[in-house]
Amino acid sequence: MSDIPPAGAQPTVAEKIFTFVDERVGLKLLAAKMLNESVPGGSRWAYVFGSILLFIFIMQAVTGALLMFYYVPTADHAYASTQYILHDVDYGWFLLSYHFWGSTAMVVCVFAHMSQVFLWGAYKKPRELIWLVGLALFALVMGFGFTGYLLPWDQRAYWATTVGVEIMDKIPIMGDFLARFLKGGPTPGQMTLSRFFVIHVMVLPAALIALAGLHLFLFRCAGPAGPFRGAPAELKAKTDYFFPRQIWKDVVGMAVVFACISAMAFWEPVVLLEEATPDPGDYHPEPEWYFLFIFQHLRLKMFSGEFGQFLGSMGLPGLLGVMLMLLPFFDRNPERNIFKRPFALIGWVMLTASIILFTVSAIINREFLD
Amino acid sequence: MQPQLKSKVRCLDREVGEVSRVIMDPLSHEVSHLVVSMNGAGERQVPMGAVQAVTDDLVQLRTSSSEVMGMQPFKREDYVTIHEVEIPGLEKHIHVTPGEVLVPFPELERNVKRRAFFANLTYVTGLFIGLPLVYPVMKFLMKPMYAPLDNGWLKVGNIGKIKTEDVGTQFQYKRKIKEVYMPEAEIEKNVWLVKATPAVLEKVYQGKDREFLDSSGNAIWTNKKDLPFLAFSGKCPHLGCAYKWRQHKVLGQVFLCPCHLSIYDASGKVLDGPAPRPLDMLPIQVTAGGEVQIIDMEFKAGTKSQTRIV
Repeated sequence: MSDIPPAGAQPTVAEKIFTFVDERVGLKLLAAKMLNESVPGGSRWAYVFGSILLFIFIMQAVTGALLMFYYVPTADHAYASTQYILHDVDYGWFLLSYHFWGSTAMVVCVFAHMSQVFLWGAYKKPRELIWLVGLALFALVMGFGFTGYLLPWDQRAYWATTVGVEIMDKIPIMGDFLARFLKGGPTPGQMTLSRFFVIHVMVLPAALIALAGLHLFLFRCAGPAGPFRGAPAELKAKTDYFFPRQIWKDVVGMAVVFACISAMAFWEPVVLLEEATPDPGDYHPEPEWYFLFIFQHLRLKMFSGEFGQFLGSMGLPGLLGVMLMLLPFFDRNPERNIFKRPFALIGWVMLTASIILFTVSAIINREFLD
Repeated sequence: MQPQLKSKVRCLDREVGEVSRVIMDPLSHEVSHLVVSMNGAGERQVPMGAVQAVTDDLVQLRTSSSEVMGMQPFKREDYVTIHEVEIPGLEKHIHVTPGEVLVPFPELERNVKRRAFFANLTYVTGLFIGLPLVYPVMKFLMKPMYAPLDNGWLKVGNIGKIKTEDVGTQFQYKRKIKEVYMPEAEIEKNVWLVKATPAVLEKVYQGKDREFLDSSGNAIWTNKKDLPFLAFSGKCPHLGCAYKWRQHKVLGQVFLCPCHLSIYDASGKVLDGPAPRPLDMLPIQVTAGGEVQIIDMEFKAGTKSQTRIV
């Protein structure tokens, strides 16, 4: 490292503090271990998504904590306090809208991050555990979206939760218990709001911090996978360290994401609907856009009836989850080049296409409902 | 200078072998012993005090070869590697590479029996702390899950609002709720009423009065088959959204749920879409003055049979 002062110069106060800490915790060694991670084949723009997700999470935690200075998680004050944040508190509209668009950015980047790992074959041995923990993190992100949606306590919030919890009710045997447990009663109310609030601001963040730490630790144990083609000698020649080239790219990525979220918050700030009540008036319930494809495919005739509903809402998504979990254990072929893995490529294209198709058709469907 | 591994070891009279390992003192962080591989005659543990001089590739001892042969033989099982223990800062003092760098395995740890027992004891202790908490914590969290059902009658409006037969008319009403510690609040709900023609009534009742029972099987109310008014719970039996009365291109006027597009006719029968059962009929009575009263009931969505939850 370059922080050794030239011989004869008096150390500055900052250097003295650094030395003081370094003597006690080995700061230089720690920094070296953090920064001197070799990136096989060299740093790339394609590798920025993990760091960006960490950045988005930190910003969600910061904006979320700020929102809690005014937000009150009770059925009689949640809506009023959210309106107060939006209309009365200085820059409240921006912080709340940033938090809202941040969650969208999180989902988009999670999808990009997972797709990349899948297409690059980076889930394969020895990185199976990173993949598994990553899937758990994906579930947590979805949980954040679902629980956070209820908190403003407007009609959109109320109905997304009503339908979402009814879907959970379709789990065999445990369903009724789970749905009541989550709602804290037979119908959404104060208990539901309390539960979703504590899950959103305590349980999920704690789990996410722990699992993201584990994710990084496992990643550091295994090391980056690198590109899927190129001779070892060539990759070795191109290898550099995490710092400075990759960090530079990550930082630029974070800045771009920050600018995008801020721009969305500025031009499309959050607008609440009427306060939550079991009578929706003219409002047509709809979940957040990243759940729209599930919402839309539940409209299909094949997912009607008791069993069809279970299949559509729990069975198939659950099966997909289990398949993704088992993926690194069944796919033992060390080939990582996506163009030599036709099933993986076709599978990814079909899944992505169907998600887009169902999302778009849900949006098109809107205008036929009024 | 610290002795290097693989250095030749020379005694006063002759060369006896090479340095095969180095043993560190965990407190002073200094090298305390060399392990000398005696050219096939085993390994000896030589204290640093016996070392006279150290160069790049040679360790000169101040003893004779026969004295070294008489020193304590090296026992590997008395040591652990520095990677197996955490001694902060130790690595900074090691300039001996490559190979194993050791600290003594503590005297007290050498003959501990029942290691597995003690390991398991920690799990058992954890269980003793955790298990008694499971039941109270579950009960704590489950407190509000099962609320008693309310069979009180609620006024929802006057029947004069309904102009046409076999058409769904929404009646909005307010219901007082008192949820746990919260102050009493009013929530808005809705119910759909249909003034039914005999054909629709026949479809619904099929010649029999409809009896409503509480959870223990006692009758709460009976909807008479000749009362021409039907009340349907505002909650869609598919996934619990709120449905509307709408014009449909093919099916004419129907109940349509905008969420997942379940469609019902004026009698509540499923015409299309994913719904598993007809709309949920509610107990209804109409006074002489035309005031409609209902018992507000909600049923679990998504099941073929009705399970009342409110």
